[in-house]
Amino acid sequence: MFTDEEVAVFMEELEEKLQVINDNVLVLEREGESPAVIQEIFRAAHTIKGSSAVMGYEKMSALTHEIENLFDRLRQGTMQVSGQLVDTLFDALDTLKLLKDEITGQAADVDVAGVVARIRACQLSCDAPPAGAAGAAGGGASPAQADAGGAARVPGGDELQRLLAAGLEAAGHAGGGGEGASADGAGVRERGGMPATAGDGGIFTGTGAAGMAADGRAGLSGSVDPVRTPGTGPDAGTTGASAGTRPAGEAGDNRVTGTPPAAEAGRNASAPGAAPPYRTSLPLEEAAEAVVREAEVRGYQAYWLDIGIDRGCQMKSVRAFLIFETLQQIGEIIKSAPPAEELQEGRYGPGFTVLLITKEDPGQVHDLVYSIAEVSSVEVRPVQPGAAPANGRPAAAAAAVGGRAAAKTAPAAAPAANGGVKTVRVDVQKLDTLMNLVGELVIDRTRLDRFVDIFEGKYGSDDLADNIVEISNHLGQVTNDLQEEIMKARMLPVATVFNRLPRMVRDLAHKMGKEIDFVIEGRETELDRNVIEVIGDPLIHLLRNAVDHGIEPPEERLRLGKPRAGRVLLKAAYVESHIVITLSDDGKGMEPARIRQKAVEKGLLTPEQAARAGDREILDLIFTPGFSTARQVSDISGRGVGMDIVRSQIEQINGSVEFTTAPGKGATFTIKLPLTLAIIRALMVALGEQVYAFPLANVVETLALKTEEIRRVRRAEAIVVRGRVLPLVRLTRLFREKGREEGRLSVVILGSAEKKVGVVVDRLIGEQEIVIKSLGGYLGQVPGLSGATILGDGRVALIVDARGIVKETGVEETVYEVNRAM
Amino acid sequence: MSDGSNRESAELQLVVFRLKEQAYGADIGQVLEIIRATGITAIPGAPSFVDGVINLRGQVIPVIDTARRLGLPPAVTGEGTRIIIVDVDGITAGLIVDGVSEVLRLPASSVRPAPAAVGGVNAAYLQGIALLEERLIILVDMTRVLQADEKLVLQEIAAAGTDRPDAPDGAQGAGPDGGPDAHGTR
Repeated sequence: MFTDEEVAVFMEELEEKLQVINDNVLVLEREGESPAVIQEIFRAAHTIKGSSAVMGYEKMSALTHEIENLFDRLRQGTMQVSGQLVDTLFDALDTLKLLKDEITGQAADVDVAGVVARIRACQLSCDAPPAGAAGAAGGGASPAQADAGGAARVPGGDELQRLLAAGLEAAGHAGGGGEGASADGAGVRERGGMPATAGDGGIFTGTGAAGMAADGRAGLSGSVDPVRTPGTGPDAGTTGASAGTRPAGEAGDNRVTGTPPAAEAGRNASAPGAAPPYRTSLPLEEAAEAVVREAEVRGYQAYWLDIGIDRGCQMKSVRAFLIFETLQQIGEIIKSAPPAEELQEGRYGPGFTVLLITKEDPGQVHDLVYSIAEVSSVEVRPVQPGAAPANGRPAAAAAAVGGRAAAKTAPAAAPAANGGVKTVRVDVQKLDTLMNLVGELVIDRTRLDRFVDIFEGKYGSDDLADNIVEISNHLGQVTNDLQEEIMKARMLPVATVFNRLPRMVRDLAHKMGKEIDFVIEGRETELDRNVIEVIGDPLIHLLRNAVDHGIEPPEERLRLGKPRAGRVLLKAAYVESHIVITLSDDGKGMEPARIRQKAVEKGLLTPEQAARAGDREILDLIFTPGFSTARQVSDISGRGVGMDIVRSQIEQINGSVEFTTAPGKGATFTIKLPLTLAIIRALMVALGEQVYAFPLANVVETLALKTEEIRRVRRAEAIVVRGRVLPLVRLTRLFREKGREEGRLSVVILGSAEKKVGVVVDRLIGEQEIVIKSLGGYLGQVPGLSGATILGDGRVALIVDARGIVKETGVEETVYEVNRAM
Repeated sequence: MSDGSNRESAELQLVVFRLKEQAYGADIGQVLEIIRATGITAIPGAPSFVDGVINLRGQVIPVIDTARRLGLPPAVTGEGTRIIIVDVDGITAGLIVDGVSEVLRLPASSVRPAPAAVGGVNAAYLQGIALLEERLIILVDMTRVLQADEKLVLQEIAAAGTDRPDAPDGAQGAGPDGGPDAHGTR
């Protein structure tokens, strides 16, 4: 059985690969066939197939096998992408997701037979069967025939087999070898597209590094509170952790002597089924050497690959398996150290070495291996052609390797550390603790600042004082940087939410008979993970609205002179210290007149109120609970629970949502979010001796007021601000604090949703960034407060629950009453 | 440490603190540290026995007026006033006491069950009493003190209700559910 951790790693990878398939199938549907896209899907399916088979999830493995087959056909051009195919693929994806749920126990007895049958039907209906690999295998004749049979366009798949056979002087086994070769012909054939799409080879490590960064990202989307450590991006130049950390002697040994286990490795490496039978009497080194020599003659190159695996890797066996699988797509593995068996059981250190012969150039080999998840470093070293006499060469090569390994062991630690670990998982709790400690530092720095002032006052400005000022400044800078870095460590790319959306839009558009051109920009924008958790739902809701209510049916759009497909743009970007997500569509927009009418019908406004209200006020009514302009209630939107919830969810995390619309032209929603929930900007006010903080997100404005300006409505107080009557709350009474009650008063106008309330405080102190702290489990929810923060002087200030105050204050009756009275 | 060997388990280690000239003891295993009582921020709307919150190295920690909590007249802050930081079942809180005198080891056998009420302290909070030569030490059950036992909270609210008129300052104690609507909508 596999441990929970192994399963978790598998699930994470599965999630990532499913997302890759999902994204690429969408691209396939939108843009038609492209070799790169097909290749991507093929590889993702291949990876899932491999790892699910290792984990023993047979249904998943079987289904991905079918998908893989399908894409193999696509790749060869014996099939075309069709609507039916895309639908089938989405079916298959859904089934895979169900299978994933089955593993976690959220689903049971998922049936794959149906979708497998559909995939097969798809294959049948789409083409005429090409000359099958089976025929070649059945022939069992020469490798040449295998060549003719199925693998004509493979760059040297079968040729390689032939070469291996020849190189090992296995002529006597030609029959068997041929069979092996032909059987593998099919296997190799499916790999044919690889070289074409493995990137343009460019700089040795360029794309590999990118691929790896992507891996790191994807890994983060998992469920276990993972965190990206800043600055650990793969250092492409660093050498393999494997070579660096393994004792030189050992490394050298393996390579020099080529012990019997290594011979085993050679055989295993060239599995499945393709292994030409080695002659046991033949010493491996000679065999390997012969193969390498032969390979060179035929235009192949032999490389030593030092592959480093993430230290945190949970399933080393699976990684090794995947690496072998991948390498065998582009060539043959002659041997490995440690031996393949040990590798496949996961018994290896921080990495391993394989001897590969291939026609690919080293850059592509590197990139290919590097793109496998959890490969932390790859070094490709050519085995020098013709450098030494046959028998001497491997020893020389190995010696060279040994030498290098030894050389690396000495200055070792640094590069090894660099290349070895790209991410660590850290409990968010730990980051919070770090944050707290930084907060302590900030407070101490503030105190030091004060001390500097005193010091200067006492001794004037001399060297000592200057030194202290310098220390204080430096400490401040370092503290700020530290704080920022820890904040960043809590961030995730917004892609973790955005990536789920294209599929949803597609399905929705299909269902509604609409055509949508859905564009996402700024996926890489990063947000605090807590914020990310919250924005998913509101975004889905807004998107549904855009597709359902916004975008018109294709015919109507044509009539209106718009393109058939409606354009929906979702974009994330940084704006100052916020992240702004905009969602715009070019649909029909919103008409104030209709909303006005609707509001009266629903009794939200009296006809007079409706007549008096401006367009903007009317438009904002869509955020009122129970409001929906959809003529028909569909199961997609229009249940009238939408926009008010969207707004309240966003406001809960101190964000705001606004929109603009032009009838006939579309609507744009703008969601402004804080980068983090841990720190907010706040307006600090004094009340008696206490300091309170109002989250700036809820502060509309501040004003000074004379007591006489307060109006009384029944028993409540109210003020008039630019013609609008707002209820007035005295913080002193709310909190039963002593404070000034008379004279000039400071008023903070708070707004939440469409309500506004004035709050009387003693004195305004100013704006400040504050770190939000919970009041703790013991106190729990204290009415009127949403938390606490620590001031520069170490005192605790309380954060006012502005939204709560606005909500609790009886606005409506008071306001309407006064409005009527005016 | 405390529940290691037999010899040790037969022994109690107490932090001895004073409230109104009476000595009380708290199990040292639950005490994290003892600090001076400064910088307490009052929490409007919290139960009356909550004196406020303090900043303990970046953590906001509630501080309990121990005397009030035990049913004694509220403490008066003085020179010796300290906050004992305790951790009970994962909840960290501070207890205000009039002074901390010592850490004491005493045999478990010297602890007797508490009588119904000792020195006006509600027996619900007591673990027992220890008689040591001439001294009487009342063992306080920290778990109970920190427990938000509904019954106790109710008693609290009732008590807060009665002393509200004559104690305008300290009477923010409407209990967790009492306050906001009442003031907010007035």
